[in-house]
Amino acid sequence: MNSRHVFVALCLMMLCLRPALAQRGLKDIPAPDTAAELAAMQVAEGYEVNLFAADPLITKPLQMNFDPQGRLWVSSSSVYPQIKPGEVANDTVTILEDRDGDGRADRHTVFADGLLMPTAVLPGDGGAYVANSTEFLHLKDTDGDGKADTRRVVLSGFGTEDTHHIIHTFRSGPDARLYFNQSIYIHSHVETPRGVRRLNAGGIWRFAPESLVLDVFARGWVNTWGHAFDRWGRSLVTDGAGGEGIYYGFPGAAYQTAYGTPRILQGMNPGSPKYCGLEIIDGRHLPDDAQGQLVTNDFRANRVSRFRLTEQGSGFASEKLPDLIHSQRVTFRPIDVKMGPDGAIYIADWYNPIIQHGEVDFRDERRDRTHGRIWRVTAKGRPTLPRIDFTKLSTPQLLGHLKSPESYARDMAKRVLFSRGSEAVVPELTTWLASLDPLDPDFERLRLEGLRLRQGLDRGSQSDIDSGLLKSVLESPDPRARAAAARIVCDWADRLESPVELLAAAVDDSSALVRLEGVRALATLGGKRAAELALHGVDHERDDALDYAVWLAARETKDAWLPAVLDGTFVDDGHFGRVIFAVRSAEASAAVPRIVTALKNGGVSEADRPAALSAIATLGDPDHLRLAFDVVTDPATPPARASALLGDLLDAHKRRQISPAGDVTAIERLVTSPDDACAARAIEATAAWQVTAAAEELAGIAASATRSPSVRRAAIAALGGLPGDPPRAALLKLCTSPDQDEIYPAAAIAALVLHSPTEAATQAVAFLGTARNAAARTLLYQSFLSVQDGASKLAAALDRSTSTLSPEAAHDGQQAVSASGRQEPGLTQAIAAAAARSSGAGSQTAAAPHAMSAAELDAFVELVRGKADATRGAAIYARENLKCVTCHRIDSASGRVDKAGGRVGPNLTAIGASSPLDYIIDSLIYPAKNVKEGYNTVVVQTADGQVITGIQVARSDEELVLRDANGKELKIPTATIDEESAGTSLMPAGLIDSLSREELADLVRYLSELGR
Amino acid sequence: MASSRARSSRRIVSRLLVVALAAIPLGSRPAFADPPTQAASPTTAGAWSLRDGDRVVFLGDTFVEREGDRGFIETALVASHPDASLTFRNLGWSGDTVWAESRGVFDQPSKGYERMLALVRELKPTIVFVAYGRNESYQGAAGLAGFRKQLEKLCEDLRGTATPASDNAAANPGAMRLVLVTPHRFAAAAGDARNAALEPYAQAIRDVAGHEQAGLVDLFAQMPTTRPSATPLTENGVHLSNAGYAEAARIFVTASGHALPADFAARFEKLRTQVVDKNRLFFHRWRPANETYIFLFRKHEQGNNAVEIPQFDPLVEAAEQQVRSIAKGTR
Repeated sequence: MNSRHVFVALCLMMLCLRPALAQRGLKDIPAPDTAAELAAMQVAEGYEVNLFAADPLITKPLQMNFDPQGRLWVSSSSVYPQIKPGEVANDTVTILEDRDGDGRADRHTVFADGLLMPTAVLPGDGGAYVANSTEFLHLKDTDGDGKADTRRVVLSGFGTEDTHHIIHTFRSGPDARLYFNQSIYIHSHVETPRGVRRLNAGGIWRFAPESLVLDVFARGWVNTWGHAFDRWGRSLVTDGAGGEGIYYGFPGAAYQTAYGTPRILQGMNPGSPKYCGLEIIDGRHLPDDAQGQLVTNDFRANRVSRFRLTEQGSGFASEKLPDLIHSQRVTFRPIDVKMGPDGAIYIADWYNPIIQHGEVDFRDERRDRTHGRIWRVTAKGRPTLPRIDFTKLSTPQLLGHLKSPESYARDMAKRVLFSRGSEAVVPELTTWLASLDPLDPDFERLRLEGLRLRQGLDRGSQSDIDSGLLKSVLESPDPRARAAAARIVCDWADRLESPVELLAAAVDDSSALVRLEGVRALATLGGKRAAELALHGVDHERDDALDYAVWLAARETKDAWLPAVLDGTFVDDGHFGRVIFAVRSAEASAAVPRIVTALKNGGVSEADRPAALSAIATLGDPDHLRLAFDVVTDPATPPARASALLGDLLDAHKRRQISPAGDVTAIERLVTSPDDACAARAIEATAAWQVTAAAEELAGIAASATRSPSVRRAAIAALGGLPGDPPRAALLKLCTSPDQDEIYPAAAIAALVLHSPTEAATQAVAFLGTARNAAARTLLYQSFLSVQDGASKLAAALDRSTSTLSPEAAHDGQQAVSASGRQEPGLTQAIAAAAARSSGAGSQTAAAPHAMSAAELDAFVELVRGKADATRGAAIYARENLKCVTCHRIDSASGRVDKAGGRVGPNLTAIGASSPLDYIIDSLIYPAKNVKEGYNTVVVQTADGQVITGIQVARSDEELVLRDANGKELKIPTATIDEESAGTSLMPAGLIDSLSREELADLVRYLSELGR
Repeated sequence: MASSRARSSRRIVSRLLVVALAAIPLGSRPAFADPPTQAASPTTAGAWSLRDGDRVVFLGDTFVEREGDRGFIETALVASHPDASLTFRNLGWSGDTVWAESRGVFDQPSKGYERMLALVRELKPTIVFVAYGRNESYQGAAGLAGFRKQLEKLCEDLRGTATPASDNAAANPGAMRLVLVTPHRFAAAAGDARNAALEPYAQAIRDVAGHEQAGLVDLFAQMPTTRPSATPLTENGVHLSNAGYAEAARIFVTASGHALPADFAARFEKLRTQVVDKNRLFFHRWRPANETYIFLFRKHEQGNNAVEIPQFDPLVEAAEQQVRSIAKGTR
């Protein structure tokens, strides 16, 4: 390329941009200069970086994949983030080649243009698969001029609700299927010859282009921008917003934000920054310690990161390693990584000072629309590998490459073999398999590769499968081979003699990994016998993923096992625990009588008894609940067990509005239990079951200075839930009786809100006028905000009254309103007016004291970078009144999770590495301005007048689970929801109002250094 | 529900119509001849025609959505009415059903259904083509009654959008005509079982068309399933190829009482290109990307960009003018 012309053009462009650049945090955008960019990279010891290609050969690269000829296919978009009215979409797919092997692209061809935000490209089947917004295309060059001339819409109906969420991350799987992902805001509805496939929210699609079978491999995540397969075909995943590092993908896995599931899994590195792209690196060019490392991109912090996996349980443990590259330039945006034909690591750099489209206006001039780089990382002093054109190799030569130490070579060889068809490959493959040496340490993997080839060559006929080979791999001494083979049983099930029986050994395998795949495969096959076998999983030790897998299997196969359990034909081999687990997992209330019978006639082992009782309490009818109730109130039951079971009974009341049959006053006995947890639950139960006779005793507990705070608070809350005059009178008394701790009268007023909001409002105004305890004041405000019309009642009382609010009391009130995620202008004004009466000033709501103009922000950024002190900032962060730690979590560098930190707001472990200064400052002053994906609130109004604001944790047809501002998870039955709307942020505005400018600078400095 | 006798008599009429249409030798008539009198008098069951000034809306699943990007049916209808001033708005959505199952976005489908009706109200169509039934047919016999009921509701709700609200005296009650479209058969490769399940759904559509006094385009009965020595009509057994859309276009035009020249696809390629361009502009108008940020719950971040979306309106109108002028020119 003519670099001088480009350089001049770039300088001119930067001059034009200059005025726009005189803006906040992003004012120092460096001019594009590949030499300076290289110089700004800190590269890990032993590695070096060179420029493989840059604009104008490519612009704005989004994804890249190599083909078996060693050519690099790159999809690019300058239309992103949004097509302009009148603009003709003309995004491209480009092919780059390094013909002379000097590590630099020397030839480029625009394979396709006229595309609309092609977020992915994967060469294959004589052309390339390309993501084109709503469409999954196959483009082909039929006349050999290098340009695509046919365009086929293979699949369509993918959502575009967010253009960095549209289908992306095309990968070629070990099973010759195409894998591709969509992110959280996308809703896709795809017609296939076998019916419509729908996926709401994020997930990984799996597609077989030959049979046109499309299904969802795994679900959830926020921005699933990375997916790689290890040498055994296992899926590792990264998330460009999820924050848990490396994730393990298996069929049916569900992670954060998965739609329609009440249970999700967790990633392996909580507190990680966002990652984009993923590749497992290996091969002779790279040093020994790099073999098998995972490389992904921390695009926000301008880093290329590395992880090491170790096998653990049914999956892996993942450990973060020092970065491969860390650039000081804000424009370095690594977003994809691939191993190349020469054994080097290739990094696609999107090159943009702006990270994505949410931050600044779509048309903001700081958005770069023309540049892009592909960097090449090599190991110093080690020879690169000769490039091979795999399409030119004979079939035996290709088979030979399956022994290659480079996964690149193995994958390319397989892709070419897949395309040659059974007739050409199978005879050679048979010879090759026979020639393998069983003593070769790689023998088990090579035999699996042979099986994979049969899978990839499968065109649906009986002769395409090799059940003998499959069986031998199922019996391999290597659990990784056995696990892979279990999944393949599913794919060949339509032609295997008895696929379910083939999996019988897997579910009792000594390896958790094999059990996991066996359980998932059986659930996919379905039917009574498959369900019975899958539930063998219950007999063995289970880590989280395996427990999830059995849980999911029980739910998916419910229609197969439930009738059998009911009619007594279910075969449990004397392990009734399997039935109990299945009933609880699938919430199969119809089977509760079966468990009751077993309990009564001794069919439940002592070890299974708590689970059986829990199933009855959670799922049963009132008569069943009575059985559990009698166990709870049996003096012989230890308090801890009674407490747990009572929790289940309370859950049944909350979720299904049912209570134990008969007289439940016996629960009163437990309110005096010396076990605080048990007593508090018993007290809660008196209100749930309306044991009005308990009112007097509760009043005594509420006022008792000798009872523990949790029990006293429970008693006060229960008085709010009990109907009638005695509880109300008791609460009124508690409201006004002097107490050392203001939290008790506050709690009493909060409970009174449920009896009479008007009466409570009067009490509240009096209380707020004098209260000094901020937590008590906040509790009060929250109680009014959580019932319908509560806010207006409190506002009316404030307006009626001549009493006043201190600035602190007013501040707490405005914060509580802000944290509710709703607009309550009436209450906001009433609070401001009461505060103004106190100060004698006019009734004006103070604007955010830290609001800044652009110039002030510049000066403030200087202060943060200069005099501010991170150690002082850390102390400010920890201050109780700022509540940072209540909602946010910061994990320690050793990777151990501080469970004390809150989970209400985003994990801040890497906030400094991932967010620019102005973003951090803005988010502190205006919390609702930029809400991290997955942290937008939902506001729900229930049929009984409650108003609940929280962040969605899970959602299914039956239930919505929200996490509220106190970190509590609330399960709301869908049937009780009257109205649902979108709120903004749970973080109240004004939290930092009490800080001085210097203190705020210290806090920002501390946050900005986290993860750096 | 109509009595079975009434239903069977309607079926006979519609069968007669099919026979009558099939009797017209395709392509043997000069282009744009007067409508064949035996087929399309306005009183014949299932008959429909396009009039000068018609605002046409297409509603349906992938068949409709992809027609927007292929443009064969629209092109054929425009070309066969070169003197009429027609507008077309394609509201197809992949995977959709009569319950608007693809239109919920972040809400339940019922909300998407309401939004769809609101959009139709806004577009004020005089004629709406409704093409559903394929995706519903995967439910088999068990889903048939529900489908039929919902299709009837959809017809009534669509007509309801043309009923004047108190503040909208301009709307003309009953002005909207409906044309129901049966799904074409699955190609042989996709299996006969699928067609056996689809057939009663096609019949339900014919029945509802009669019951609702709607027009009919019977692709199920009229689309050929094979064409010897020619490009296949579908790309995957379900979705039409360009050749398939050209065939469907001919059936639409014939049903409207006109005919097409044999070489219409080649002859109107320029017109079709313009139709497709116009439809792409309209797509960005009614289903813009980044909806989450522009209009929905993250609009506090990028809602200021919403101002661009209506800027597509004049572009769509200009493109449609261009369509009409090309159509006139090809006359």
